[in-house]
Amino acid sequence: MESRKIFNRIAVLRKERNISRKDLAGKIGVNFQTVGYLEREEYNPSLDLAFRISECFSLPIEMIFSTKPLRPLSEELNMLSNRR
Amino acid sequence: MSRKIAVFLNYFCIVIILIIFYGVKYLGFPKMYLLAEIIPLIGLIISFKTAFGISNLWKLTHTSFSKLDEREMQLVYKATTYSYSIFTILCIAMIYIINLLGLAIIDVVAAACLLYIAHILPASIIAWNDKTSVAK
Repeated sequence: MESRKIFNRIAVLRKERNISRKDLAGKIGVNFQTVGYLEREEYNPSLDLAFRISECFSLPIEMIFSTKPLRPLSEELNMLSNRR
Repeated sequence: MSRKIAVFLNYFCIVIILIIFYGVKYLGFPKMYLLAEIIPLIGLIISFKTAFGISNLWKLTHTSFSKLDEREMQLVYKATTYSYSIFTILCIAMIYIINLLGLAIIDVVAAACLLYIAHILPASIIAWNDKTSVAK
């Protein structure tokens, strides 16, 4: 079975919070090159790693990962506030 | 030197070493040719360093799984699976050739080459397919 491509916001979130790849890698317990692979969407993380990333950014998992291309976070937040 | 060229050169040097050795042993090449083994041997060392040493792929494929992250584990697992198939085919082919040519049993040079290939195969597969180097 071929796995689907998982889109993510890791690069945006990491840059926004001024965290280096090495620091993020240390926090989530992977090699810093794996962070690069995740950011380029060349590697789909396991569920465990995805949860570790979401805990690290203190965001729900669906805000970071999606099976569809992700819109900018600001656009997403605007949509949420409009719904309210 | 690109990593793919280094991997190719590494295997090419092994083949040259075997050709010279068996040429002297069975085909009547002059024994002086054995001195020329030093050239592919140097090529083997240099290409090994370029393909597996600098990129740290040797270390990656020889580290215990507990020290790797999930992506690295997946990478090594896939490479090891392919290596197992390739190595099995290689050994069977070698046994058939030796039997067909009526040569003696596998000697120390062939055994050493097989042992070396068994060790570098997973790293070669990663070096050939994966773009980035591995962190120390």
